Amino acid sequence: MTFDQARVKLEESRPMTAHPSRWRRLRPGDWAVRLGAIALILGVWEFFGPTLNKLILRPPSDIFRAFFELVANGELAEAMSQSFRELFGGLAVALVVGLVLGIASGRWRFVYNAIDPLVSALYSVPAVALIPLLPVAFHSIGDPPRIAAVALFAVFPILINTQQGVRNVDRQLLEVARSFNTSERRLWTDVIIPSATPYLLAGVRLAIGRGLIGMIVAEFFIGLVGLGYLIISYENVFRIDRMFVPVIVVATVGVLMMGFVQWLEGRIAPWLKKEQ
Amino acid sequence: MNAQQTRISVERATKRFSAGGLTVFDGLDLAVRDKEALCILGPSGCGKTTLLRTMHGLIPLDGGRILIDDAVVSAPRRNVAMVFQHFGLMPWKRVRENVAYGLELAGLPKATTDERVERYIEMVGLRGFERSYPSQLSGGMQQRAGLARALALEPDILLMDEPFGSLDALTREILQDELLRIYQLMPRTMVFITHSIEEAIAMGDRILVLSARPARVRELLQVDIPRPRTVDSVIAHPRFLPLRDHCWRLLREPAA
Ligand SMILES: Nc1ncnc2c1ncn2[C@@H]1O[C@H](COP(=O)(O)OP(=O)(O)O)[C@@H](O)[C@H]1O
Ligand SMILES: [Mg+2]
Repeated sequence: MTFDQARVKLEESRPMTAHPSRWRRLRPGDWAVRLGAIALILGVWEFFGPTLNKLILRPPSDIFRAFFELVANGELAEAMSQSFRELFGGLAVALVVGLVLGIASGRWRFVYNAIDPLVSALYSVPAVALIPLLPVAFHSIGDPPRIAAVALFAVFPILINTQQGVRNVDRQLLEVARSFNTSERRLWTDVIIPSATPYLLAGVRLAIGRGLIGMIVAEFFIGLVGLGYLIISYENVFRIDRMFVPVIVVATVGVLMMGFVQWLEGRIAPWLKKEQ
Repeated sequence: MNAQQTRISVERATKRFSAGGLTVFDGLDLAVRDKEALCILGPSGCGKTTLLRTMHGLIPLDGGRILIDDAVVSAPRRNVAMVFQHFGLMPWKRVRENVAYGLELAGLPKATTDERVERYIEMVGLRGFERSYPSQLSGGMQQRAGLARALALEPDILLMDEPFGSLDALTREILQDELLRIYQLMPRTMVFITHSIEEAIAMGDRILVLSARPARVRELLQVDIPRPRTVDSVIAHPRFLPLRDHCWRLLREPAA
């Protein structure tokens, strides 16, 4: 029913395992500091950047103008629809694979032993090194290998965090459940899944960041499309103002998506934010 | 059932934990009578929790057997409910859902579940906190919920593992009085574990004093203090001090 103590030690120090976050509401003062810091950096960059290196440190106002140029000529919208197809496809695959394998390996020793060597090996290899293999594996330089690249980058934090969440279920609560004659199905819905949810969501937040990296790298290596293409092509012609537009779009998307997951956590795990 | 009938019978029970070859108890015998409150008093670490877990069928024995109503215990039964020292509430369930937990698992009709949840929340004094999460409650309030969850099942047998052991002295006394009041309303077979002599005298009809590990029965005492009781009435009773001194000596002196 439960795991023996020896097993618990193994995974404790994986660097990728994030602790489930506690829902922290930002106060107005926090926002003032955050916005102030951003404004300060942009101001310094605007006025002193060009004096350091006119070619590379283009002022934010130029980037702002470039943004509207790329919106107006449709390049940005086209690149974004391409890139988001890969991103959401890859994250969906990572979520399904990571959840299924994470739950199974967290719960059953057999599955854990079966997949752990592979997970450890794949996690140790820099994922970038595997990307050139993907077009070969998929006989394609289209979306499938790029979606696979995003999934490859994103799957491990979800898998490992879910596994930890399932494994770290409070043994005392497992015993309480048995004491009240739980069924196996109710054990999952009452105890294991709620207890693993914060870990899973912490994994998803990490996966979003890594998925975005995977997306850009895959676009560099496989077919040269989407936001990755915009970065490379404008960098090659030294249109650094335009090159920064997709970079900032990627950063903004990352921040928004992680904020969304944080909000989601408050909705589906309300007991965490009620903690005092 | 007549008052002397045995509900739980522990016969030559032996429990070892393989880790470190630890023998928790070896050949332990005891009997719990119908509708009595039996307190099991023993020093920390002597194996009280382990004994209760075997009585509930949560962990197996290594020798001997435990019978409830003449049937060997091998798994938890629906007519036995446990209250835990660590409260054992699900942090993601509100008070209402925690109290309903056992009833839902027992598959009772929703109307019955709702009615009982409301009644027992009222009985333990948690009215108004139905929608709170456990983390929003004090320890005493959390254990009220733990108590309501067990009582709501209307079990024949209540197993209490130091239910008030982690509460501060004041809260502990308030809850002891509450439990005495509830017990008066609904007398039932209760095994109440504690390491507090005062608590054992206040709650128990009989007290089983255990030695340090491996746990042996030092003595079985009759608490001849009439019910209804309150903690104050027990302490004021002339039998209280002699009983307390006697328990003290049993716990302090090594077995002959
Ligand atoms: N699952 C377990 N595995 C190994 N040893 C245990 C386990 N549970 C309890 N013990 C040991 O058995 C002894 C009795 O524990 P316990 O029944 O919890 O004592 P008490 O409830 O009287 O304080 C202690 O020495 C404890 O360390
Ligand atoms: Mg104990």
